[in-house]
Amino acid sequence: MKLRRPLVALVLVIAACGTNVDTSSIPDLAEVSTDDIIASIRQAGRPAVVNVWASWCGPCRSEAPLLAAASSEYRNIVEFIGLNVRDSPENAKGFIAEFFGDAAIRHVADSDGSVVADLGGATGVPLTFFVNSDASVAKIHFGVIDERTLALEVDELVRADGT
Amino acid sequence: MEFTLLLAAAMAFAAAVVALRWEAARGNAADCTRDLGEILLTASVVGLFVGRLVAMVGSGVNPLTSPMDILIVRGGVATGPAVLAAMVTVAWAARDEIVVVADATAVAALAALGGWHLGCLPREACLGSPTDLPWAMTQPGSTIGRHPVELYAAAIFLLAAATLAVARRRRIPAGLAAATALIVAAAGRLLTEPLRPSLGGGPVWWYIAGIVAGIGAAAWALSRQSVSSPSPARPEP
Repeated sequence: MKLRRPLVALVLVIAACGTNVDTSSIPDLAEVSTDDIIASIRQAGRPAVVNVWASWCGPCRSEAPLLAAASSEYRNIVEFIGLNVRDSPENAKGFIAEFFGDAAIRHVADSDGSVVADLGGATGVPLTFFVNSDASVAKIHFGVIDERTLALEVDELVRADGT
Repeated sequence: MEFTLLLAAAMAFAAAVVALRWEAARGNAADCTRDLGEILLTASVVGLFVGRLVAMVGSGVNPLTSPMDILIVRGGVATGPAVLAAMVTVAWAARDEIVVVADATAVAALAALGGWHLGCLPREACLGSPTDLPWAMTQPGSTIGRHPVELYAAAIFLLAAATLAVARRRRIPAGLAAATALIVAAAGRLLTEPLRPSLGGGPVWWYIAGIVAGIGAAAWALSRQSVSSPSPARPEP
């Protein structure tokens, strides 16, 4: 039982790591259609990574820090779009404030999941579309994405696109 | 749900078990009272758990408020802390037989690493940076040839495991097999890291630290000059 006190202390320290996020600086997410998404990607003229997430999705929380880091790393070559589905606006803003504070990701809402369906996705989240600059979907990754897959698929997108 | 990571882990464990049985038939750690397979499995689970926890805390996810996220291994595992935790677990489990157990599990650990990297095949995650070399492989639907970097790593570790198994047939200083395995494991990852897709270049400082620690352990083993090579298997009467 010598370990009891250090363990209790460790648990308290980890518990204290939780934060109350301030969502006042996060704008409301604009509701978009499939045409809006396609038009914005074509207008940007570069490939895009469209990540589908929701605040109630545990696995989305796990991959969010990776996507935030990747959006900064690739900010000049790839557009990162966060597509929030089937979520409450307040919870979505809380999630953005907690995980995507300074990330170069443009978040929009797809409340009924119709954009995801139109792009060929499924109802489950998380989900990541790799989209060419002409807005054609190059690849869909179902489930949590890892660093290796994300880096490889972005490289494939950029090389195929010639940007 | 994706279970390909679990399949890769199963391949790693299978490779370790094969290596342990291969060595046991040749008198590996005949006097050791510990169950080597159990120690390796426990160390792997503890390492994975600690590595995942560190990765979660590092990326701002609280393990206490989101305990189920610990299971989402694909979300990231901190390599260095995971390996450290695994090594501490082996040391704790072995206690008074640390050097004997470390030597006796060295070949199996390298084989496990080889099995893990070979697990890229069912995961379809073997490819790295682009290349024009004749053995370049392409992703489905792509025309861009790439290094099969995880297969390189698997080849390095499996070849090293086989070489170390042969070397242990000779009388080598106690601790040298474990030190060599640590050097090979870290150097193998360091050599292949530039070919591996990543955001920040991978945990190269951890690999360098592993090489330095392995060289230190090898120097210590050579300075002691006691021998812990497996005795040859006795023929059946």
